[in-house]
Amino acid sequence: MTPGSPTDERRSIRGATLRRAGLLVAGAVFVLWAVATLTFFAIRLIPGDPAQAILGGPGSQASQEALDQVRRDYGLDQPLIAQYFAMLGRLLTGDLGVSYALKLPVADLLGAQLGGTLLLAALALMLAWILALGLAIWSTGRGRVASALGEGVEITAAALPHFWLAAVLIAVFSVGLGWLPPVATGTLAGFVLPVVTLAVPLAGFLAQVMRESLLDAMQQPFVVSARARGESALGVRARHTIRHASLPAISLSGWALGWLLSGAVVVETIFAMPGLGRTLLQAVTLRDIPVVTGVVLLVALVYVLMTVLTDLAARIADPRLRQEAGR
Amino acid sequence: MSDLELQQATAVSAASHAPARRRGRMPRIGTVLAAAFVVFLLAATVAPELVATQDPNEIAPGDAFQSPSLAHWFGTDESGRDVYSRVVAGTATSLLIGVTATAIGLALGLGLGVLASFGGRIADFSVNRLVEVLFAFPGLLLALLVIVVYGPGPVTATVAVGLSTAPGYARIIRGQLVAIRSSQYVEAARVLGRSPARIISRHVLPNALLPIFVLATLGIGQAIVWAAALSYLGLGAQPPAAEWGAMLAAGRTYLATAWWMTVFPGLMIVGTTIATTVLGRALTRRGRGER
Amino acid sequence: MRAAPVTTSPTPRRIGIAAVAVVSTIALTACQAPAPEASGEPVSGGTLAYASGDAEPTCLDPHVGGNYPQALLAGQFLESLVSRDDSGEIIPWLAESWTAADDGLSWEFTLRDDVAFTDGTPLDAEAVKANVEHLKDPATQSSTGYLALGKVDRVEVVDEQVARFVMSSPDSALLESLTQPWVAIESPAGLARGMDENCQAPIGTGPFIVDEWVKQDHVSLVRNDDYTSPPADAAHDGPAYLEAIDWRFVPDSASRYAALQAGQVDVIDNPQPDTISAAKSNDSLAWLDAPRPGAANRIELNSGQAPFDDERVREAFIRAVEVDEGIDALFFGTAERSFSPLSSVEALAYSDEALFEPDLDRANALLDEAGWTERDADGYRVKDGARLTLRFPVSTNQSIPAEQSLFEQVQATAKAAGFDVVIELLDLSSWYGALAEHEYEIVSAPYTKVGPDVLRILYHSDSITPAPSGYFANLAQLDDPEVDSLLTDAASTSDADTRADLYERAQQLILEGYYLLPLYDQQNSFLLSTSVQGARAMPTVSTPTFYDAWLAD
Repeated sequence: MTPGSPTDERRSIRGATLRRAGLLVAGAVFVLWAVATLTFFAIRLIPGDPAQAILGGPGSQASQEALDQVRRDYGLDQPLIAQYFAMLGRLLTGDLGVSYALKLPVADLLGAQLGGTLLLAALALMLAWILALGLAIWSTGRGRVASALGEGVEITAAALPHFWLAAVLIAVFSVGLGWLPPVATGTLAGFVLPVVTLAVPLAGFLAQVMRESLLDAMQQPFVVSARARGESALGVRARHTIRHASLPAISLSGWALGWLLSGAVVVETIFAMPGLGRTLLQAVTLRDIPVVTGVVLLVALVYVLMTVLTDLAARIADPRLRQEAGR
Repeated sequence: MSDLELQQATAVSAASHAPARRRGRMPRIGTVLAAAFVVFLLAATVAPELVATQDPNEIAPGDAFQSPSLAHWFGTDESGRDVYSRVVAGTATSLLIGVTATAIGLALGLGLGVLASFGGRIADFSVNRLVEVLFAFPGLLLALLVIVVYGPGPVTATVAVGLSTAPGYARIIRGQLVAIRSSQYVEAARVLGRSPARIISRHVLPNALLPIFVLATLGIGQAIVWAAALSYLGLGAQPPAAEWGAMLAAGRTYLATAWWMTVFPGLMIVGTTIATTVLGRALTRRGRGER
Repeated sequence: MRAAPVTTSPTPRRIGIAAVAVVSTIALTACQAPAPEASGEPVSGGTLAYASGDAEPTCLDPHVGGNYPQALLAGQFLESLVSRDDSGEIIPWLAESWTAADDGLSWEFTLRDDVAFTDGTPLDAEAVKANVEHLKDPATQSSTGYLALGKVDRVEVVDEQVARFVMSSPDSALLESLTQPWVAIESPAGLARGMDENCQAPIGTGPFIVDEWVKQDHVSLVRNDDYTSPPADAAHDGPAYLEAIDWRFVPDSASRYAALQAGQVDVIDNPQPDTISAAKSNDSLAWLDAPRPGAANRIELNSGQAPFDDERVREAFIRAVEVDEGIDALFFGTAERSFSPLSSVEALAYSDEALFEPDLDRANALLDEAGWTERDADGYRVKDGARLTLRFPVSTNQSIPAEQSLFEQVQATAKAAGFDVVIELLDLSSWYGALAEHEYEIVSAPYTKVGPDVLRILYHSDSITPAPSGYFANLAQLDDPEVDSLLTDAASTSDADTRADLYERAQQLILEGYYLLPLYDQQNSFLLSTSVQGARAMPTVSTPTFYDAWLAD
């Protein structure tokens, strides 16, 4: 076969794809390992005896014998490094351990919580995107008043603390109008207020970033030439600039996920929804190390998957990135 | 194309597609207002006792929950303290949290972002993984851990918020830099044989500056809001400190009966964000040769 | 002892022995509406939705650990051998009669013969024996129940329905101990399943059965249709009126109140004072006020180290601090100032208001006398280069926002006399950590226990000795042989008058030594929709019971 034949090209593309996939998997494993390691050692910094956490938590009155017994049972009398490798070993077999407080397998506990939190985060991210795009497109390049108005709305939205926004939404839509329940009970209606609470500040943030890129994009040569070809302003905005503008916002989506999960700690508490955020807060309070580790690992796993997706999305939005092989 | 031609082309395109941007000599009203607000903030930071009307920590339980009036411009809180004076007294702490946390996050983010986009594939790969590791660690958990280990307070809150925002900044800065790196004018400069250092300093950083600036101005408000979330969880600034986020969190309990307890500190956060953003814009416009 | 994480309420403490008649001051009020008990005929059916702000238990079996959130839930599906009525009399429950030996070293309880656990196991003396053994087994990790049965050596089966409690020493408060939810009787077959399984759904004899526990969401309780064993003061016989209870965990107090207002739930606990005040003017809401027994909410002064090892400095602090106006404003008239170490529901509570009269001049004079004569630039007193600093760790899980605000007022008023009060808001684990390390000069820690014997736990010098975790109950670090002997004698005497006298003298000494600043009773309130009829708080530990409750249209 001569170089440059179609088959050869396809093979090299496949090779690049495979190599890229390999890198992605290796990167993912590295991230999970690093997160597990960081968490393991970071948690050891917290003052307090894990054996006390196992035997009744804060203010426990467990006897010395009981504490010794628990230390032996949980391997807490081993050197730290031995405990670390024991944990890695368990993780390799998919064993997240047993909750100190609830004495239930962490995997079961978190499995029940993951779905709700992911749904909440995904819906909030979607809504935030829709709101942000709408606002950015509506208010960009429309004159000073629209621009200032849009910007004011965005900044205000981004500066709303979740707990305050939630309280206002509950006061208006649950107590005042009686449209939506203040406590999420697993129904669709119960999801509305938590999703809006999470989405609005995020939308303000995303829209800010998008507006800047949108303004920049509209000054790019390709827009000039498109306008010169006689395309309408809206057409240009829709076809060329949004793509360009969504780039930083897409790369922000990973950030948004972590942001949403942090927000979920507050939102799940206020709307009394079961979920990872609330679990995490309670686990930190109770020093329930296996649950904290489990939540962090789970979030890391979701994050890694999310990165792959945004990576693909960015490649679709920006052809230039497609040529960068093996990044 | 020479550097000069490049700049002219950019300026022309900017001018022709931003018809709403006035090119007069006078500063805009918004800029003036923003500057005035920032001056007020600075005064409140440097000499709160001159700006405030009362001692921010003086209690008067008999005067609790008074709505805004001439005596108490922003009303009183649950202990009868003057909300206006507390807002003024809280300016220094809040700004310190906002600015320092943003500076920490931005400095780390900028370093990582530049390293990733210009340090070659290995650096890029490593930084990306590092950022992912930090990303995968929920920001609030990081903050909770820092606070649990080092105790609550404004300093720990600042460091915690700063650290947890760094990966976000790194990621967006890298994205921005990569896009600029492969843009036409950088390619043109490369074709013209400019050195990488010169390309970064002359073309890339100036162009990346605006979005970063916007991020920073937004970040100040964001940092205060995150510190407020820590206060809601009871782990932010310690009493009787009148930090805006802590005031928001404390006032939330009385939202239905005393709206002024949250609305005014909230307005300060929003106002600070808007003012810094507007001023930031004005400065960038000046940098671009506009007015 | 377990404390409750992530809660907005004062956390429960061990409850134990009550020896004398305690007049419960539980009141159910609804403004502009008649007392809810008095309207209409009970109707069967329906699901009651309850929103709890107390922490979600980590185990539903109250034998394990033993805290108030567990008691709140367990009261719906577990029952005790005896109960108390509103006048403080011990009344039959699972035991229909009992007798004590003359030497006080054994008690015989005759059980009802028509009661079965909801798994079908009959209630018999063997079951009682198994429960006491379960509570005393270290593997159960019982704290509250274990302490309540401290003087019970073992249980012997006399015959199928008669159980004999053999005591290691006489305990005149055994009956009161046995009223508590933490020593409720569970199915031996249920206990035999092991802790992990039993924690998920303990099996009792109560009017409801644990159907499902969805973590961080709710516990479903369904009616026990074969129920036969209400306590003697219940309003009716047979199964409960309600078909089910949906017990939800709603940690945020504003959300809880909103859910009640929106009709999403029928009952909430731990309402904020301002919402109680709002509810009082709302025709469709009723307020059930049930202060907890035991100690009053108070600020303890750590007399174990400087500067409070000097009584003059302690008195100076108490004279400097003003809280009356603050309590009125922050609690909207729902909490009354206390001047006693004990809850107002305790008949033996002794008050001395004169000791707590604010007097800034006297405070300043006392501090001068104690050598704190200098003041630094910030107005704080200094002695030998050290500032008069009072570290005040506050648990955000145990002190509601109104109480935290009150502490800020304490901080502000104490400053006038030159005290630098440093409030540290901490999560529960860090808070216990600070106490264990003695890193506090003042602290507020609620403690619930039926009867004045709570004084022995809180102020006997034995309670300064820490558990292995560092926990100790005598946070004032009061170490006075005279107080010790008064409290010890009071706990072992069987003569009511002597006992009352001993407790009064002990309280006098405690108050006059300026070891504590009493604030108010441990607040324990419930807001109910007026459609909920017949609900009441148990006269034992003030947990609500819904056996007699029904939903009116």
